[in-house]
Order: sequence, then C-alpha cells, then structure tokens
Amino acid sequence: MTHPTTAPTPAEAPSTSGTPMLELTDIHSYYDHIHALKGITLKAHEGEIVALIGGNGAGKTTTLRTVSGMMKPRTGTLSYLGENIAGKPAHQTMQMGMSHVPEGRRIFAQLTVRENLEVGAYTITDKKLIEERVQEGFAYFPRLKERENQLGGTMSGGEQQMLAIARALMVNPRLLLLDEPSMGLSPLFVEAIFDIIVKLNKEHNTTVLLVEQNANMALAIAHRAYVLQTGEMKLSGKASDIAKDESVRKAYLGED
Amino acid sequence: MELSVLLPFIVNVIIGGLVLGFVYAIIALGYTMVYGVLQLINFAHSEVFITGAVVGFEIFRILENSAMNGYLKLLLALVAAMIVSGLLNVLIERLAYRPLRGAPRLVPLITAIGVSLILQDTLRFLEGLQGRFDLTYTLPAGFGNKFCAAEGSTCAPLGNFLRTIGVDVQLKDVILVVVALVSLSVLNYVVNRTRLGKAIRAVSQDRVTAGLMGIDSNRMISATFLIGGALGGVSGVLFGMKFGTINAYSGFDPGIIAFTAAVLGGIGSIPGAVLGGLLLGVIQNLIGVTNIFGNLLGLANLETIDASYSKIGPFIVLVLILIFKPTGLLGKSNVEKV
Repeated sequence: MTHPTTAPTPAEAPSTSGTPMLELTDIHSYYDHIHALKGITLKAHEGEIVALIGGNGAGKTTTLRTVSGMMKPRTGTLSYLGENIAGKPAHQTMQMGMSHVPEGRRIFAQLTVRENLEVGAYTITDKKLIEERVQEGFAYFPRLKERENQLGGTMSGGEQQMLAIARALMVNPRLLLLDEPSMGLSPLFVEAIFDIIVKLNKEHNTTVLLVEQNANMALAIAHRAYVLQTGEMKLSGKASDIAKDESVRKAYLGED
Repeated sequence: MELSVLLPFIVNVIIGGLVLGFVYAIIALGYTMVYGVLQLINFAHSEVFITGAVVGFEIFRILENSAMNGYLKLLLALVAAMIVSGLLNVLIERLAYRPLRGAPRLVPLITAIGVSLILQDTLRFLEGLQGRFDLTYTLPAGFGNKFCAAEGSTCAPLGNFLRTIGVDVQLKDVILVVVALVSLSVLNYVVNRTRLGKAIRAVSQDRVTAGLMGIDSNRMISATFLIGGALGGVSGVLFGMKFGTINAYSGFDPGIIAFTAAVLGGIGSIPGAVLGGLLLGVIQNLIGVTNIFGNLLGLANLETIDASYSKIGPFIVLVLILIFKPTGLLGKSNVEKV
C-alpha cells in the first residue's frame, strides 16, 4: 500500500556526537506477563527526527509509552536530558519538555477544540502565553480555528489527528513522541501532517520520535531509523540506508 | 377545581418542590462529580452530607445566645460544614478508595457502603457523648418567619402578592434557594471557566491522556472529592435548616433520592444532577401534597396513609427513566470516533 504522496525534505541531519537527548539502554517492558520490549537500546539527539518502524506487535507503541512514563520499564536505563526518568509518571515527564501524541489520538471528546488545546497547555500558567500558543496552533491547522467551539468528539478522524498534534505542541516540546500520526488519514492529510513535522523540526529544532506504519513516509523525513521486531531491535542506521535495505523493503515497504 | 383554588395550589406545590429540589440537587452534585472522575458511586456521600448538617447544628447551637447577626451565623455554619465535609470526603478517598484503584468495581462499591456505616455510627457516638441523638436546629430569630411579612419593608409588595394568591414562603426557604443558586454559580464557574475545572473534566474523560498533558490525576481526584464534599456540607446545613431536626441516620433517605436525581439527570452530568434534583423535589412534593396513593386507593381518610409515601415517587421515576432512557435526561453515551 503506497500512497502517491510526496514527502517533504528533512532538514540536514544534526550532529550525533555528544550526549544524546534521549537514551534507552537495554529496556525491558512488560504487559503483565507479556514481555513486550526485550532489551531495547535507542538514542535520539537534539534536533533529530528518529523513525521507529516495524510490524504489528513489534513494540513501537510500547517504546513510546515507556519513554513518556505511561508504563514503567522493568529493567534498563532511560535517560532524558541527562536525568534518569525510568519509572517517572507521565505527568512529571511531560513537565520536562516532552509531549506524547498517543495511539488513537485520544482527544477529549466532550471538550471543545479550544478547551482541548487549553488542557494541552495545562503546565503553562501564563494566560497570555497560552493564548499565543492557541493562536500558533490555529496557524498550523486553520481547520481547527473554524471548529474552535465544536466538541472534539464531533470532528472527523483527520481533524482529530490535527487537534491531537496541535494539543501536544501547546507546550512547545523539546521532544515530541508521535504514535502513528497518519493512521486512518487520507493521503492529503498525511502529507499535511508530515509537512508540519518537518517544519517543526526545522523551525523549532524539535526532536521527534516517530512511530509509523507508513514506513515510506517516515523514512523519507527521518534522519535516522530503528527497525523493531517482536520487542527486539533488528536494525538501526541512517534513514536513507534503512530505506534501501533489502529485508526492510520486503517486510515494511510493501515490495515483493 | 376552580382556577382560584387550583392556581395557588399548583404554585405552592412547585415552590415547595423546588425548595426541596435544590437540596437534592446540591447533594446529587456530590454523587455525580465523584462518579465522573472515578465511575464510583460514593455511597458514603449521604454521611458526608449529614456530617455537614451536624456541623451546622453545632455552630448554630454554640452561637445560639450570641448577639451575632443571623446571616453571619449562617455563613459560619456553611463555611464550617464545607470545610469539614470537604476534608472528610478527601480523607475517605485517600484511605478507602485510592488503595482499591484498579480493583473490580464491586470492591470499592462495597467499601463505600462500609464507610457509610462507619460514619453513621461515628456521628451517633460523637453526639451521644454529649447525650444527644436527635439534633434540633436553633435557627437565628426570624428565619422561620414568613417571607417579607413586615409591613413597610422593601420587599413587602412581593410578600403580600404571594400571600394574596395563597402561597406561603418562609424566609429560610428563600435563603435556602439563594444559597443553592450561589453554590451552583460558583461550581459552574469553577468547572467550566478555570484551569482546575478543565483539568478535572479532562481527568473524568480520559485519565491516562490527562496525564500526558501534565495533569496529576490523583490531585484532580482529590480536588473533586473536596468540591463534592464541600457541596455536601452546604446541602447538609440547608437540609437541617429546612427540616429542623436531624440525626446521624438522616442522610440515608435524601442521599438515595439525590442519587436517583443524579441518575435521572444522567450520572456524570452536572446540569443533569441539578435538573434531576429539582424534578424529583417537585414530583415528591406533588405526591405528598395530593396524597395521590391514598386517593387512588380510596384510603386518603386513613391517617396512616399520608405524605410519607411521597418518597416512592422518585423511585417510580427512576425505574421509568432506566427503562426508557438509561443514560438519563442529559446523559451522553460516549460515542467516540476511531
């Protein structure tokens, strides 16, 4: 399944020497007795777009959930901005400049579009700054401005995805975790959303950890990529190299 | 029936019902807000509310012979009841419900009933130490007077008008409605306009995602119990004012009716709780005043078939609503787009 979409060009790859912004070392995570992550090691440097690709059940979502603190890793180290954050609950990591757009968007259906954005800005107390950020969000996604006072749950899937991303951007995050931003969207929406990811990365130097089923698009905009398979890291390297890899092309890029 | 008889009769039933309904509405808010964040029916809320009534009784009792302005006494009683009931509710959540987070839903429900029984007997014990069981409110002078009865007072025309159409309203009923309306306005402002209110609504819709917004859901749950408990305190004082005599066990009936009101309006919905409370107040009053059961059965002349049967009314309404609109009048079935 390849969309005839054109991916935007990513910014030049930032330096990957020095201490990474985010570093997972030998992370093991479990859902009850299910061993979901079996020793994941991963790095993201400031200003990088890092793609995580892999099939269903590979552990992509679990990796993001572990990073943001939605679940605790059982063992391994998880450092962010030089601090070990393994086991910190999500509401604390989110106050450290991280934002997570979760799987399935999870917008607040009974809050209006504006209220969703305001809740996204919960950690900001300056009302003027919140209003500025809401307007920035509307500038990124003019469609949201039109729907400002509509309940989140009454919008289409694409609009909800825009809202979920705009909501995550309210805090101007240093690290943005995106879980399947293209899921269920029309090619037009997919392109718009990938444009915005690249724009954010270029203009704000936002570090992005991107989980995608649309591996073509993800690899086109990412600087580096990791390939996950049943909870283990199979492959890692420059996104352009991964995109050329024979086994990846067969497994994830829809080529025979 | 003649119109000249019917009109004041209807107005009386409605006004009396609304006064009662406002008490139910404020109690119902405590049930519905807690249900909103935890999907738990806090059966201890009837005791949180009657604790407020006991605190109010104590304040009025202590200040009985004080020369303090009556409204100031009332304000003190309300504030003290709000603080005690609010903190009590927070404590209940912290000690009894939080450790059971994640347990099957029946477990905290049974615990809530247990907390309710413990509180009943604690209250009885505390008042029993002072040799009291039934607690009779000593309201400030004038609260029991007819509304605007004094000749020459600014509102006398309104009072006179009400009396000419045959409607009797006591000053304390008017105070009760005013206090209830002020509480509702403050709550509405907090829930819909403030950062705290938005965070509470976010937590009640999706606790995990609210965490991703940096919201500490445990703090918001505590805040909800504090607000719900404080409202319980207010309603306790209003209830004591209206009915005059209470005891440690008086919370059960109004508690269960207010819970019915919350379900009627759509549990989890704040406007629903208010609407449900007012409706049940009017329905109960209508049944009580007309003694409809006594009349239908031809037993109205029996002294034992009287207004006390009016409490059946709210439950008939509950059964009907659960059959025909299980989500309640203003309740929403959460349909989310995937």
